[in-house]
Amino acid sequence: MPNAILDPTGRANVEAPKPPEELVLAARKAGAAGLRVGLLNNTKHNAALLLAEIGELLTGEHAARVTIAETKPNFAAPAPADLIERFASQCDVVITGVGDCGSCSASAVADGILFERAGVPAAVICSDAFVVTANAMAQMRGAPDYHFVVTEHPVAVLDAEQVRQRAKRLAPEVVSLVTERVSQ
Amino acid sequence: MTGASKAPGEADLDPDAARAAIEYCYDQGWSDGLPLVPATEPMVGKFLAAAGRNADEVIGRLPQLDRVVTVGLAAINAVMAGCRPEYFPVVLAAWDALMLERTTGGGGWQSTSGPAPLIVVNGPVRIELGFNATGGVFGPGFRPNATVPRAIGLIVRNVFGIHPHELEQATQGVPGRWSICLAENEEESPWPPLATEAGLPDGVSAVSATLLRTCEFVDNRHTASAEQLLGDFADTIGRSGPWIFQHAAVGIIFCPEHAQLLAGAGLDRAQVRAWLAEHSGRHIADLARAGKDGLDGRLRLPGSGHPADEFQRVLQSDDRTNLLIAVAGARNAGISMVVRQFADWSGAAVQVIRP
Repeated sequence: MPNAILDPTGRANVEAPKPPEELVLAARKAGAAGLRVGLLNNTKHNAALLLAEIGELLTGEHAARVTIAETKPNFAAPAPADLIERFASQCDVVITGVGDCGSCSASAVADGILFERAGVPAAVICSDAFVVTANAMAQMRGAPDYHFVVTEHPVAVLDAEQVRQRAKRLAPEVVSLVTERVSQ
Repeated sequence: MTGASKAPGEADLDPDAARAAIEYCYDQGWSDGLPLVPATEPMVGKFLAAAGRNADEVIGRLPQLDRVVTVGLAAINAVMAGCRPEYFPVVLAAWDALMLERTTGGGGWQSTSGPAPLIVVNGPVRIELGFNATGGVFGPGFRPNATVPRAIGLIVRNVFGIHPHELEQATQGVPGRWSICLAENEEESPWPPLATEAGLPDGVSAVSATLLRTCEFVDNRHTASAEQLLGDFADTIGRSGPWIFQHAAVGIIFCPEHAQLLAGAGLDRAQVRAWLAEHSGRHIADLARAGKDGLDGRLRLPGSGHPADEFQRVLQSDDRTNLLIAVAGARNAGISMVVRQFADWSGAAVQVIRP
């Protein structure tokens, strides 16, 4: 018998590799009216402004209010547990992004899934250039069909007025993502 | 049958079986595009013995992807990369040196910049294993220089599971990614080895490593002035193209001729760094033409309002973590390489441990 060829990934021979727990989305809100909104900025250029503009639109059009806004300590890594807890205790829905690079797109989706598991509906905003890597992370986290808001690449070169226009276009999609049951 | 004769000892070699095994590895998605050497239990055993390490020892983690690298998995990938067993301690030292980098435990391997490891080997292991330190040091042509960095790339691909077009999002990637491993030309360098500068004892075999964004040569063979030569380097270091944050970290792989000219003028590594830290940069007017004169946090973007003649330095300081200096290449011309670091360098050298 020839020698077997070894698997270099470390995953083939693990006995029945544990599939990630299937994601059950957080319950969607009945409507946007009066919602407490959390904004999680991942530090990518224009992310803070885009999130703030969407927050203002929700405030103006739906009498929602932004109750917590934070910046991720490390855009490449998923948000730490204490951050997730703070948001879960202070807001009804979270808007986060912008997934606009190799690692931050993946980790923005990972954050969205963490919020969902913590019972908070999340709208993750990701550039359309990074949909593949965002989906790859969603799959790894047990949510291969996880829905997020996709926006045209690039976001970083937009000026302030263009960011405002982009926010106007995205706000309805953000609202529907956190208020309506989407098929998973 | 063509009747091709076989050399003594080759009688049992089966090229068709080898080909089938190589194709099997391709089919599993394990390859970086080039043929792999299929790994077997006995061969991996030889690698582990050469390093004297336990297969289960954990040497790397990427929590966001839930991946863990062990010595045993590293050995399988080193076999597949074409390493010999005695190279494996160097692979492990290179891996450990890379793990000391801030970016390799974060998003570095997934980055749009597609950064390339720069691996520098010092000490007797260079000679014993046949690492190239002289002509054509950036490759190809030398098995240890070619296979050690390839092993690193295969570990990232297979164990971290970071595949191009999926979790790996390099826009273009750095040319020479997974193939830049230099032995320092200690014999013709006027300065102490890089590992000695990092604080290890003389004569120790060690590896230093960081991640790169670019390599650009400086060809200057006609000046005898250290200041003119350094001025040429400062100009290349100051380019706006690769300059995206307030400051940047760089490296220089000096050819022996350039290093000796500088040392002949009385300059050691620290003095070279000090001169370059002061003189490498651009004026606000130059940066404004590239839309990089302003700062938003750390990021360069258009518009600063600073005076046009204000000089902005590339390097944050003359600390060695901002400017790696090594000596490698042939002594036949004044051609050196300026490299742009992906982030600041740890500054550490990791000893090559052999039982």
